[in-house]
Amino acid sequence: MSGGNATSVLGRVRSDTRDAGKLCWTELRTRLRHIRGEPRQLVANAFMLLLFGVGLPLFLLGSALSYGGRLASGPVPTGQSGVVVTAVLALGVYLGGAGGFNQNRTGSVGPLVRTSIPPRAVALGRLVSETAQASVLVVPPGVVLLCLVAVGAGSPLPALLLALATLPVLVASLLVGRVLGDAVRFVSRTIGLSLWAKALAFLVVTTALYVGSQVLIRSRIGESEGLDSFSIPSLLPGDPLQAYAVTVLDPLGAAGRPLGLLVALFVLASVPVTLAVALRVEAGLLAFESGGSADDGGVASGTRNVPRPFTVTPSARVAWRYLLRTRRDPRMLAHLSPMLFGAMAMLASFVTDPESLFLVGPAALVVGGTTLAGAAFCLNPLGDDSDQLPLLLTSTRSVGVLLRGRALAGAIPGLVLAVGIGTPLALFQHGAVAAGGQTLLAVVLAVSSAGTALGIGALVPKFEQREYMNVERSHPSTIAVMGFFFGGLVVGAAGLLLLFGSLGGTSLQLVVVGWAVYLLVVAVPPAIGYVYAVRKFDALTLDDV
Amino acid sequence: MAAPSSALVASGLTKRYGDTTAIESLDLDVDRGVVYGFLGPNGAGKTTTMRVLTGLIDPTEGEARVAGTPSSNRRELVDRIGLLPEEPPLYDELTGREQLQFAADLRECAWEDVSERALRYCDALALTGDLDRRIEGYSTGMRQKTAFVQATQHDPAVVFLDEPTSGLDPRAAKTLRELIVDLAATDTTVFLSTHILPVVEEIADEVGVLHGGRLVAEGSPEELVGDTALGGNGEAGIDGETGGDADLEDAFLALTSEPEAAWQS
Repeated sequence: MSGGNATSVLGRVRSDTRDAGKLCWTELRTRLRHIRGEPRQLVANAFMLLLFGVGLPLFLLGSALSYGGRLASGPVPTGQSGVVVTAVLALGVYLGGAGGFNQNRTGSVGPLVRTSIPPRAVALGRLVSETAQASVLVVPPGVVLLCLVAVGAGSPLPALLLALATLPVLVASLLVGRVLGDAVRFVSRTIGLSLWAKALAFLVVTTALYVGSQVLIRSRIGESEGLDSFSIPSLLPGDPLQAYAVTVLDPLGAAGRPLGLLVALFVLASVPVTLAVALRVEAGLLAFESGGSADDGGVASGTRNVPRPFTVTPSARVAWRYLLRTRRDPRMLAHLSPMLFGAMAMLASFVTDPESLFLVGPAALVVGGTTLAGAAFCLNPLGDDSDQLPLLLTSTRSVGVLLRGRALAGAIPGLVLAVGIGTPLALFQHGAVAAGGQTLLAVVLAVSSAGTALGIGALVPKFEQREYMNVERSHPSTIAVMGFFFGGLVVGAAGLLLLFGSLGGTSLQLVVVGWAVYLLVVAVPPAIGYVYAVRKFDALTLDDV
Repeated sequence: MAAPSSALVASGLTKRYGDTTAIESLDLDVDRGVVYGFLGPNGAGKTTTMRVLTGLIDPTEGEARVAGTPSSNRRELVDRIGLLPEEPPLYDELTGREQLQFAADLRECAWEDVSERALRYCDALALTGDLDRRIEGYSTGMRQKTAFVQATQHDPAVVFLDEPTSGLDPRAAKTLRELIVDLAATDTTVFLSTHILPVVEEIADEVGVLHGGRLVAEGSPEELVGDTALGGNGEAGIDGETGGDADLEDAFLALTSEPEAAWQS
């Protein structure tokens, strides 16, 4: 390479870095202003900081102190050190992967930026900005945990060596994750599948991974003759990572030296390589995506008439439209993804213990189905239609018609699960009386779930769009979703316990009191929730949005 | 005091956001069956005014009645108004026909009752052939046409249109202008906000010019052009001319050039 070329390459790198720095700074400043300007954002972020910065270290307090003590008092604990490095690696891959996958907002960079500075500078700027944003949740607990290790060791040196060992792993894994996320995003955008097929593929892959890991863990527990002798290190294929950890944490020791040094070299070398690959891939994707999406449905046609059962009331017709829209775009249900984790855990139980399918299955379907009835369309009832508010507010005499439509739309798939599948299973397992009782309970809970969800959605509506699960729309509040799922689980389980208690010969007096209290619990909140939602949204103006 | 034939009356309408006044002491009196052109430079308060009149936001002071109903009474108001905002409020996942049917459902009226009118407008706007395509595949103009039909299919007494010809090709824009005139001929009042002055000059019966949140001029397009050409006081106004070659654009520019020069007709 001639001197002139080298200078021009260096100049380009400098220029790109300068542009990336400006973009990164602008994105971070915009994000900060957004958080500062929204009291709810401020509270949510403070809560997350507390949860990760204080909650997590508190949870790991004992382990961190004892690990520090072991680092100081003898040979490096190989298994524990391997776990620490593996945890950092997994965290990095997850955060990087999520960042790379959730990049469908090329619009948020803006055509001006995309046509003003080189794509590589845009990619670098966003990568650094998003990494900095993600690190807000990672750095505080990391620093606190390192301090705890130092306290446990009685010296800062082990903690410093631990930081030295984990930092390159974190950076490398973030970049590897980023490239993986980019690759998944590219495949997702270019593959000629419908949105439902993509969603199904995502479900199948994640479920298979989860169920596979659970099956593996359970088989290892079996081999280890019970939980007492079971340890996480025994699950890890972690020899290289353990050797790496031991080499860095005990630089003068001999254990794990050749393999550890090799891994250390690999980790260090992978940082610039994956950075270069990530920038090249993202710059390419930026140009590819700004050319417009080839998403399905763009030229789709065919009006679907409202089926007869849905023609009875305006609300029923509205419900049909919501179901139709969801059928055409499953991304409307992206906020339900936390439910998937519960479903996966249940599925893993069924795979490892098929008999539990009939034992727990009907109850799980009642809880899942009735929770779905409220969560599907009622947790952010006007928020997720924020772009259409001028139509909704100038067309409905009362938003009640819309809210009832949403409740009905959610109740249909919910009851398909809870009653359509749950009742035959219950009939098979528990007999006709229990199946009948469960069906009745499911119907009551579905109505209750919808009303309660409407109330929650009215209490904490979210009108601003944000990205979640690679879907940018006005998702319901995360805390509301999680609270609703947890509440649904508790209330559903309580109802089922009461039902089977009533059928199992519990004293009549207790049964009557139990049902009276329970019905109060499942009737009053939804009634208040529905009335509150109608009143609040009937009075809603665009100034509130 | 509003005349019995008034479709839209506002008195002392004011909207403030903190220290910023979007509209101030706005008085309007628009007759039934007229096209009222609502003009103003960017940020003059046109959209805010339309939002107040349609009940989408509450005024800080003052009140408005649309088709005899207070704008604050949204429950009654919705039957009397139709709104085409600047961004057409449509669902990408629905087809055009499903969207129009959904809008009818929201109003709790049967599609059969409004379909004749809706489909007639669709025919006029050459939209019928695309009604069974999903809106996500629509062009800007097709979205605009769909939103126009959605705003008018239920035969409202007052229609609020914010930049209705935006994104339309010349033929569709011409058809839309004719439809607006037809609406007014059937006693519907059209409150038309636009920057395209020739459109207002062609179809508006009355024009109001908003500047800095205040109504600085009101009258027929001819009156506005004439008055502005005379400087509002019979003296030569625009470039010393007496209005012979002046048009609405000249009047608009003269009225909105300096806040101090504003005058109330």
